[in-house]
Amino acid sequence: MSTKHSIAAARFIANRKQEAWHDETLWMVRVKRDKMSHSLPEWERLRELACDIKMYSNSHLDTLLEEFEKNAIANGAIVHWAKDAKEHNEIVEKILQQHNAHTLIKSKSMLTEECGMNEYLFSKGYDIVESDLGERILQWMHLHPSHIVMPAIHIKRQEVGEMMERVLGTEKGNSDPTYLTHAVRKNMREKFLTADVAMTGANFAVASTGEIVVCTNEGNADMGTSFPKVHIATFGMEKIVPNQEALGVFTRLLARSGTGQPITSYTSHYRKPQDGGEFHLIIVDNGRSDILAKPDHIRTLNCIRCGECMNTCPVYRRTGGYSYTYFIPGPIGINLGMLKNPEEYSDNVSACSLCLSCSNVCPVKIDLGEQIYRWRQDLDKIGKASSEKKVMSGGMKFLMERPALFNTALKFAPLVNKSPRFMIYNGLNAWGKGRELPTFAKESFNDMWKKNKIQKP
Amino acid sequence: MSSKESILSRIRSHTGTRYEQPEITLDAIHYEDKTGQFSESLKAAGGAAVVLQAGEDINELIRKHFPDAKRIASNLSEITCATFDPDSVSDPRELNNTDLAIVEGCFGVAENGAVWITQQVKHKALYFISTGLVILINKEDLVNNMHEAYKRVEGTDYKYGFFVSGPSKTADIEQALVFGAHGPMNVLVILR
Repeated sequence: MSTKHSIAAARFIANRKQEAWHDETLWMVRVKRDKMSHSLPEWERLRELACDIKMYSNSHLDTLLEEFEKNAIANGAIVHWAKDAKEHNEIVEKILQQHNAHTLIKSKSMLTEECGMNEYLFSKGYDIVESDLGERILQWMHLHPSHIVMPAIHIKRQEVGEMMERVLGTEKGNSDPTYLTHAVRKNMREKFLTADVAMTGANFAVASTGEIVVCTNEGNADMGTSFPKVHIATFGMEKIVPNQEALGVFTRLLARSGTGQPITSYTSHYRKPQDGGEFHLIIVDNGRSDILAKPDHIRTLNCIRCGECMNTCPVYRRTGGYSYTYFIPGPIGINLGMLKNPEEYSDNVSACSLCLSCSNVCPVKIDLGEQIYRWRQDLDKIGKASSEKKVMSGGMKFLMERPALFNTALKFAPLVNKSPRFMIYNGLNAWGKGRELPTFAKESFNDMWKKNKIQKP
Repeated sequence: MSSKESILSRIRSHTGTRYEQPEITLDAIHYEDKTGQFSESLKAAGGAAVVLQAGEDINELIRKHFPDAKRIASNLSEITCATFDPDSVSDPRELNNTDLAIVEGCFGVAENGAVWITQQVKHKALYFISTGLVILINKEDLVNNMHEAYKRVEGTDYKYGFFVSGPSKTADIEQALVFGAHGPMNVLVILR
C-alpha cells in the first residue's frame, strides 16, 4: 500500500537534477543556521528559554489573550475573535464591505492559507494581491507554497522568467533573479499605492502591550500597510507572548533558525492605528484550543513557523513540499495535519526516517520526530495502518516469540541472497520497494557467538 | 455565547498543566568593540555604517555617499541637504520617487546591525518607499544584543516602531540574494 506521500514523492524524484538542487539548496540554509547558532555560546539556553516561555504562554492563553485584548483596545485597535476559518473569512469580508473595498494587499500569512481566505474572497469578487515576492510568483502561477518560509523554493528561475514574460512583459529569455525581482518591484509599487485595505499576519502578539510584531526581509508588510487607511492583522492564538522581554529571546532565534540570518531585515511593531485609520486584530482559534487537550502533542503549539524542520529533514529535502497532503509540509506539517484530521492526513506520517534531526534543531524544542513516532503507533486504531506491513510485523512477532523457529529461519536466510529477484522484490515486500535489501551473512551472530568467534575489543 | 466567550471557555476546559513563567536569565553575548561589531553585522546584512568624525559635515558625508540623489526627504533640522520636508505632503503616495530619506533612529544593536526606529514622521511610508535610506543615531547609543534592546524599548510609547537591519531583500528566486525587493536598496547608518 503506497501512501499519497510516496506516490507524490516519486513524481518529484523523477526529475533527478531538480531533486538534487532542492536537497542541496535547503541543506545550504541548514548550514547557514549552524554557523549562526555556533556563533552564540548561549544558543542552547535560548532554545530552552523559548520552549519554557511557550509552555507558559500556551498554558495561560485565557489570561494572556484577555490581557492582549485589553491593551490593544486601549491602543485604539479593534479586536475580533474567530472560532474557525469560516468566521475568520467572514470577519475579513465584513471589514472590506464596511470600507467599500475591492483590493486587499497582503503580506505572507500561513494562517490565511489555513483558512482558505484568498479562495473565499476571490469567489466573492474581491481582488487579493500577495506582496511577498515568492507568494506573488505562486499567485501568478496559481500554486500554493511548498515551504512556509521559502514558498517558491521548488520553482526554477527559468520558469519564473518565462511566467514573467507573459504577465509583466519582461525580456525574453532573461531569468536573472535581480532583473526579475526589480521587475516585480516596479509592478508592486503601483499595487501598494492603490490597494484599499492592507492585511498582514503576525509572528508575535505581545500581551503586555497589545502590539503585534511582523518579521519580513522584503519590507512588504510595511509597504503594504503604509498607504491604505485600514490594516487587518490576523494571528493564531498561540502567537501570544507575555511581554517584550520574551521578544528578546524569539527575535534572536527566529531568523537564525529559519534562514541563517541574525535577524530579518524588518521586525515591525504595530501598536496603534495610523492617523485617521483603523487597525483590526483577529485572534483565531480554528482547532488550536483542541490541541491544548492533548498533552502528548501540546508542544506543536510552540511553533514559531521558522521552517527549519523542513530545511533539515532528509525526507522533505528530497521529496519537496507538494509531496505532503497537508498545506504545511515537513515535520511540523505532519504533526499539525494529524492534529487537524488524522483520518485525512495520515499519509504523511510515513514521510519520516525518525532521524530526529528536526527535534534537535527546533528553536522552541518541539519533539517533532517523537510525536510522529507516537502517531504511527496509533495508525492501527484509526484504521490507517498499512495492511502488508501489518502482515509482515505479525509474522515477525510470531517468529520473535519462538526462538527455535527464529534460529532455524536465520540458518536458511542466506538462501535469499541467491533467490531470483522476482521472489524478493515483489508487491508483498514493502521493504523491497525503492531500495536494495542487504545480503544476509553466511553465519548468524548467534552461531558466531556460540563458536566463540566474537572477540571482546 | 460570543465567539470570544466560547473560545475562552474551550481554552479553560482544555488547559491541563499550567506551566510557570520562566525567569529569563542567560549570559548573552557582548562585545568589547560594539561599534566595530555593529558595523560588521550591518555590512553582512547588506548595509553600511560610518562614524561621523570630529569636524566632518554630516550633509557633505551624505552627499558623498549618495551623489546622484535628487529628491531628498528629511524633517530633521540638521539635514540641510534635504530638498523637501516629507511631513508637508498630505498623501503618503506623494512620497513615491523619493531618492533618499534621512531619518533618526533610537539605537543600534551590535549582534545583528539592526536599528530601532519609532515613527517620527507623518507617514511611515517614508521609511520604505525611498530608494536610499540614511539613519542617524548617536554613537554611544549601541547595545550588545536583543535582550538589551528590548530593555530599552520597554515602557516607551509609540504608534509604530521597527528594527531595521540593512536594505529590503529577498532570496525567493532560487535562493539568490537580491537587494531592494520593495523597500530601500541602500541603507547607511551614520553614528554621530
